[in-house]
Amino acid sequence: MKYICKKIITLIMTLFLVSVAAFLAFQVIPGDVVTSILGTEATPEMEEALREELGLNDPPVERYLNWVSGVLKGDLGVSYRYSKNMNERMPVAELIGDKLPVTLWLAAYSLILIIVISIPLGVLWARSKNHYLDAALNVISQTAMAVPAFFLGILVTYLFGIILKCFTPGGYVSYREDFAGFMHYLLFPAISIAIPKIAMTARFLRNSMLTEIRSDYVRTAYSKGCTDRRVMYTHVLRNALMPVVTFLGMIIAETIAGSIVVEQVFGLPGVGRLLISSISTRDFPVVEILVLYITSVVIIVYALIDILYRMIDPRISSK
Amino acid sequence: MKKKNTQKKKKWNNYLVVGLVMTGITLAIAIIGAFWTPYEATAMSASIKFAAPSLTHWFGTDNFGRDILSRVMEGVETTVVISILVVAASAIVGVLVGALTGYFGGLMDEIMMRITDAVNGFPSILLALVILSVLGSGVEKLILALAIAFCPSYIRIVRSEFIKYRDADFIARARLMGVGWVRILFVHILPNIFSTFLVSIVIGFNNAILAESGMSFLGIGVQPPAASLGKMLSDAQGYLSSAPWYALAPGLAIVWIVLGFSLLGEGIRRRNQ
Amino acid sequence: MIKIDHLSVAFDGTEVVKNVTIEIADGEIVGVVGESGSGKSVTALTLMGLIAEDAVLTNGRILFDDVVLAEAGKARDKALYRNYQGDEMTMIFQEPMTSLNPTKRVGTQVEEVLKLHTKLSKEEMKEKVLDTFASVGLKDAKKVYDSYPHQLSGGMRQRVMIAMAIILKPKLLVADEPTTALDVTIQNQIIALLKEINEKQKNAMLFITHDLNLARRLCHRIVVMKDGCIVEQGETKQIFETPKEAYTKRLMEAVPSRIQKKEPRICTEEILRVEHLDVYYPSGSNSLFARKEKHHVVKDAGFTLHKGEVLGLVGESGCGKTSLSKAILGINHDVTGSIRYDTVRPQMIFQDPYSSLNPTKTIGWLLEEPLRAAGKLDKSLALTKEDRRAMVYEMLKKIGLKESYYDRKPSQLSGGQRQRVSIGQALITKPGFIVADEPVSALDVTIQAQIMELMQQFQEEMQLSYLFISHDINVVYRMCDRVMVMKDGQIIETGDTQEIFDHPKEEYTKLLLLNS
Repeated sequence: MKYICKKIITLIMTLFLVSVAAFLAFQVIPGDVVTSILGTEATPEMEEALREELGLNDPPVERYLNWVSGVLKGDLGVSYRYSKNMNERMPVAELIGDKLPVTLWLAAYSLILIIVISIPLGVLWARSKNHYLDAALNVISQTAMAVPAFFLGILVTYLFGIILKCFTPGGYVSYREDFAGFMHYLLFPAISIAIPKIAMTARFLRNSMLTEIRSDYVRTAYSKGCTDRRVMYTHVLRNALMPVVTFLGMIIAETIAGSIVVEQVFGLPGVGRLLISSISTRDFPVVEILVLYITSVVIIVYALIDILYRMIDPRISSK
Repeated sequence: MKKKNTQKKKKWNNYLVVGLVMTGITLAIAIIGAFWTPYEATAMSASIKFAAPSLTHWFGTDNFGRDILSRVMEGVETTVVISILVVAASAIVGVLVGALTGYFGGLMDEIMMRITDAVNGFPSILLALVILSVLGSGVEKLILALAIAFCPSYIRIVRSEFIKYRDADFIARARLMGVGWVRILFVHILPNIFSTFLVSIVIGFNNAILAESGMSFLGIGVQPPAASLGKMLSDAQGYLSSAPWYALAPGLAIVWIVLGFSLLGEGIRRRNQ
Repeated sequence: MIKIDHLSVAFDGTEVVKNVTIEIADGEIVGVVGESGSGKSVTALTLMGLIAEDAVLTNGRILFDDVVLAEAGKARDKALYRNYQGDEMTMIFQEPMTSLNPTKRVGTQVEEVLKLHTKLSKEEMKEKVLDTFASVGLKDAKKVYDSYPHQLSGGMRQRVMIAMAIILKPKLLVADEPTTALDVTIQNQIIALLKEINEKQKNAMLFITHDLNLARRLCHRIVVMKDGCIVEQGETKQIFETPKEAYTKRLMEAVPSRIQKKEPRICTEEILRVEHLDVYYPSGSNSLFARKEKHHVVKDAGFTLHKGEVLGLVGESGCGKTSLSKAILGINHDVTGSIRYDTVRPQMIFQDPYSSLNPTKTIGWLLEEPLRAAGKLDKSLALTKEDRRAMVYEMLKKIGLKESYYDRKPSQLSGGQRQRVSIGQALITKPGFIVADEPVSALDVTIQAQIMELMQQFQEEMQLSYLFISHDINVVYRMCDRVMVMKDGQIIETGDTQEIFDHPKEEYTKLLLLNS
């Protein structure tokens, strides 16, 4: 319990540092935001008015505090680029609002695919005594890990979309309108994200199992008269899965990154695409919030993994 | 019997051989691509738009009638040069910072670790994206952004290796002999981590290539008209039903390069064991 | 009756066990003694059916009460073996920590034997496990039952392993160096326990060890092995009193025992004085929140060391002897008290010959480095490249290695040879004082004797002083002029070697002497 408290405090501190970094980073950007929004033909009065509106005249510390307190209250600021109507700028919260579920569903979907497929595959691989099966899995996994998610996305689109006609490329269905259709469409981007990660995780599990099999306690288990199967499932697997838990933390972070690129390939309206377009249009309030959001997710996932690890490994938890 | 096996270290294995051959071909293409391509990579021709692969255009032509093979060769060159620079820069910083923080520990180490911890879990392509959005676009900035993004992982690897050796008996002895710290760091310890570090450098190439092509695919990396594999793929995506070969060549080129490096890394890792 | 019948075992075409025949009768304890690489463990693992899959039986067979368990030329019958393993034949291993599954409660792990071989109910199983725990001397059996291996001490873990091995009263119990990883006092308790089990259960026991003294105390019969072959076998008494083979004799002579006395010397010139030395070790995580706690590992130590003297430091693992030595050399920083020495740069020889030489350098480079370092620190000591080289070759000769070793890497050397290089490296700058931390404990007995001889030779030649740390009281007896006994961070007794061995004052010292 004491550990979890500590973990939470560290987490908050890290988030604070990230928020400062995210904020500061966009303070040192070359070029004036106002000129880039209004263009070079704006009058000084217009520029000054915009500056005032965006709160750019306040000192940096005050601006940071305003921003953070806003974020904590749920006010994420306004976009430089998008407008809600003629007089009002688009609040970032609204901009992100309906895009977030798309990304989260995609990441969750991929993660489930990764776990469900890679773990049995890894066990099968570790148990394969057939030299050729082992070599084949080796070649396949190496190749799968070498394919970038966006190329895989293109291949999946071509194979399942254009040749097999399992789905309509670009025919995204909103989750609000038709959830089943949404999930059906999401399957293909999820596959594109999952395949390289499945190869990585299965490979990691296999290596972890082969390391465990060489342990002394496995010999003890055999000396009791255990069968190969029993040794594998009651002794080796649990211990071999422990490092995999940590590995999965990294995979989750990469899945989120992978979804940004894959959203682009499949035309999904998620936060990844928003991030890319905000970066190219230099819409910093949006980028700041998205960076903060993605970092939080990653940090929280790592913290959870860490706590989970402590729960399943008696060597750490009882100390 | 266990000891006998370790003494008979195998110099070569299949991974190493195949990885070396593939990487060798990649480098050869990059070097040739710098001086000669079958066609001018930017030469457009309206008459041969979307030509299917043939003897005159091995991989066909694109939407501007440019020869895809020539563009792939140039793209490979761009990618390889960028990743070499990225890996070299981040590895050098990684060795220096990792060696100092790992060996001496203390407050600097604590601070460095907090930073790398926060950054490390963060996917490097995302980090590079954010850095690039601050810096603005351009090839030099892309290299800088990727180098910054990759530094933490090198620092971490080098640091943990130095921590491992910091308390080794043979280092304690070197200290007793009165060997100076610079010599301990770079003459006594560094050669020991070389083989581990070599693997991470090779894997680093992979990540650099994937990140660069990913960012170019997203349109924030290498800018047209310069040829880049990622950008070619994102262009090709629009013509997938009419000209599927357009996507194939740059895609396979990326797979080839990355696979070559990962086999090489695996080969070195197995040799070290 | 268990019989290993003309057994030969090969790995990759090289035979590591050659034509070995051993018979073990019910109630008999047979000791297999040999140095590392003698094939004793391979023989035991083959007998148990636990040898790696790539091992090939090239000759002979294994008989268990006239049932052929394994035979050359036949595929291994795992199913047949499983009926015996854990039930009729069981095994205890050297490392009790790694031999237990780290993530399962030890009670469950012992219970697994019952699950596999009996049809008892859950409650009956638990009761039987608790009974067995009590019978192997585990106090508070219930608590042990629910513990994980890391929560138990080394001795307790080994008792758990023994409980697992004897719970079904096996006909054969194989013990592979079961006490090597334990401290002497614990070692003795385990030996006594094994003896008691043997008397009660009348099992046949195969006891594998490198330690002749241990075999002598426990075994009825002894088999001496070398390079995969049996050199000699016979009744324990006969082997010790009238050994027939030269190797057996050599093995026995090499074992440091209290027969080899060291001529006491009187040394008066003081070279090191330690007063009120306390050493602390940081503990716990170095997180920002953890209060920095310290272990007090050495408490108020004080002693002197004279020129040309060997001072022994004896104690069990964790008593603080290594911390003390590192503090003296300035490797530990968190110390209070005073340490004064009147010699240039004392050097240290470590226990593990594998980790104390930089694996990326050549032997020549390693021997030259102290000279280079000394030259850099003090310009008057700087030598030319040729002079350094000459000194290195001279040192190679002194430590008994050929000139061709100059260009070799440590990985090409044996443990004994590495320890020689280690000694050479420590002595090449001619320091007056050396700390030797268990310099021979990781070596085989015959090598041990050679290294001790080398160290003594250097000592006489160079008028060296050693602070000689060891857990092996017999080694200390042979090497040291004076002895300090350390327990829980305190030096509890100091005196001339002979005096301490003949008239120990402290209970703990008596216990240590009794146990070895």
